[in-house]
Amino acid sequence: MDAFITAAGLVLHFDVLWVIVASAAFGMFVGAMPGLTATMATALLVPVTFFMDPVPALGAIVTATAMAIFAGDIPAALLRIPGTPASAAYADESYAMSKKGELDLNLGVNLVFSVFGGMVGVALLILCAPVLAEAAINFSSFEYFWLALLGLTCAIFMTTGDPLKGVTSLIFGLLINCVGIDPAAGFPRFTFGSVELLQGISFIPAMIGMFALSELLRGAVSVDERNVVLAQKIGNIFHGVWAVLKKYWFNFLRGSALGVFIGALPGAGADIAAWISFAISKRFSKTPEKFGTGHIEGIVDATSANNSALAAAWIPALVFGIPGDSITAIVIGVLYMKGMNPGPTVFLQNPQFIYAVFIIFVLANLLMFPLGWAAIKSAKQILRVPRNILLPIILLFCLVGSYAMTNSFYGVLIMLVLGIIGWLMEENGFPIAPAILGLVLGEMLEQNFMTSMIKADGNALMFFERPIAGVLGAVTVVIWGFMLWRGFMGRKATLAPTEPDPTGA
Amino acid sequence: MRANDAINGLVLILLAVAMIAITSSFPAFPGQPYGPSLFPRVLGTLLIICGALLIWRGMAARRAGAGWVEMAAWTRQPWRIVSFFLMLGSLLLYILVGDTIGFIPIAMVILLALFLWFGVRPLVAVITAVAATFVIHWFFATMLRVPLPRGLLDSIL
Repeated sequence: MDAFITAAGLVLHFDVLWVIVASAAFGMFVGAMPGLTATMATALLVPVTFFMDPVPALGAIVTATAMAIFAGDIPAALLRIPGTPASAAYADESYAMSKKGELDLNLGVNLVFSVFGGMVGVALLILCAPVLAEAAINFSSFEYFWLALLGLTCAIFMTTGDPLKGVTSLIFGLLINCVGIDPAAGFPRFTFGSVELLQGISFIPAMIGMFALSELLRGAVSVDERNVVLAQKIGNIFHGVWAVLKKYWFNFLRGSALGVFIGALPGAGADIAAWISFAISKRFSKTPEKFGTGHIEGIVDATSANNSALAAAWIPALVFGIPGDSITAIVIGVLYMKGMNPGPTVFLQNPQFIYAVFIIFVLANLLMFPLGWAAIKSAKQILRVPRNILLPIILLFCLVGSYAMTNSFYGVLIMLVLGIIGWLMEENGFPIAPAILGLVLGEMLEQNFMTSMIKADGNALMFFERPIAGVLGAVTVVIWGFMLWRGFMGRKATLAPTEPDPTGA
Repeated sequence: MRANDAINGLVLILLAVAMIAITSSFPAFPGQPYGPSLFPRVLGTLLIICGALLIWRGMAARRAGAGWVEMAAWTRQPWRIVSFFLMLGSLLLYILVGDTIGFIPIAMVILLALFLWFGVRPLVAVITAVAATFVIHWFFATMLRVPLPRGLLDSIL
């Protein structure tokens, strides 16, 4: 309880609240702009949060992403272009509703159920995280090695249409992470005598490059595309939402629960949650034929699911230090830089930070009501911001942001090189998220791998001897076996030219 | 630019082989069989396997009639290619001469060039470039105390 009061004191501070409101507005804007994703909002925020204390830094990221995931629904309804990939699952449905004249109801339902879904996710985060942390306190290097490997496996297995390219991307991320001083013996690897490479590939410039610069490059070649906004007036968005809640309360609960489950799985985040819950909603609907004609049912499921997944992704991130999605991967990188190694020990040593995250999540979801309403009301102005002015300014922001991380041009160079690599990867169907996960988890994976190897002295069976390690190891091996088996059975399907994954983070 | 998977695989294998070759110069510690070269070697081997699978898949796609390299539709319009390289060139310019010229002038030049190229009206472009540069400079240099390069303005500021 003491920790809770300390946490409340940390959050309910003028500076922190100011940061939260400002990042909320920023998140709304980025989420509502087609082509700028929630991950990109995080990537742009991180250089700024670098200079803050841990609590406002986490507050900024939590709030901005929660807002961005909701705000992605707005252009989906108005333009048929999802503002973030998490809204892609039901963009067509939303747009069909708008064309039927139900734009107000659609936006109202999206806002209300985003808030409620987010609340369910936060509630489960608050309930589950401390319990899991207690169990995780006894883990040794074997458990952590398997956990990290399992997390990475799930990332490949869940998020990519093409597991082979997912694996390749992951290994590439892990290899980049090998540059610099090695964590076990302290030997400088792949530095080619450069002093700057000794510190390794700095995580934040790398991430800005892969998530933001590659996005800007794609934007630059289509800068003349105009958004055609529906010429409908936005009226009272809350009219009729209560009736939807009464009719589809079960969809809301199912969507939120599914969102929590998928979000908590390492590697899968809000976008996958939305796709799966939308599909399940259609599968079990009494009126599946109405889907695709502007039917609210699936939207209730999916819009609840993506917001609840966002909060639930923090469960593995806080408890094990294993990211639930690409946003929490960035968060974990930030936590490491702040000297707070995520994992069960944080719950013992710094419980006030954990409680502070919980409080911020609740605040962010409450704040979503007024700010979401304001964003919807001003949606047409937001969507009219010209891209040809926005893109160069974001480019300059990326440039300064990565410079600020190393206080030298080295950061900008990393951003430039990895931005080009990230762009090439996306063009060739290699998902970026696994590479970032590899970059974040690489050091932990290698450290636990080396410690375990030295302890086991080459005896592979040691990796399975402790009971939890055995279970985790077995699960990982089974998943890999299944993937290989499926790879051999489904080889013919992969011969067809592969399309970029529609659900890619 | 979408290359055939065989090309992607080959590039990855070359990268992995180079990395493994470099690891052979890493020191071993007496009495300790697991040194700094172990992890990169494991990863390199895995990358070679992935690369081989990609080559195999790429060759199959090639036999099915896919090309070696496919360019996206936008590459047929030269001005879009210029847009693409202008973004990269701006960053490179900053890395190369940022220290001597300084953040403020170079940021203004980059913004102005990009705005004008992207078809922003000249007056709007000039005003926005100046305003955005000063806001970002104020935010990072004054608020967050990032030592942005002063360059030419060193004597004035």
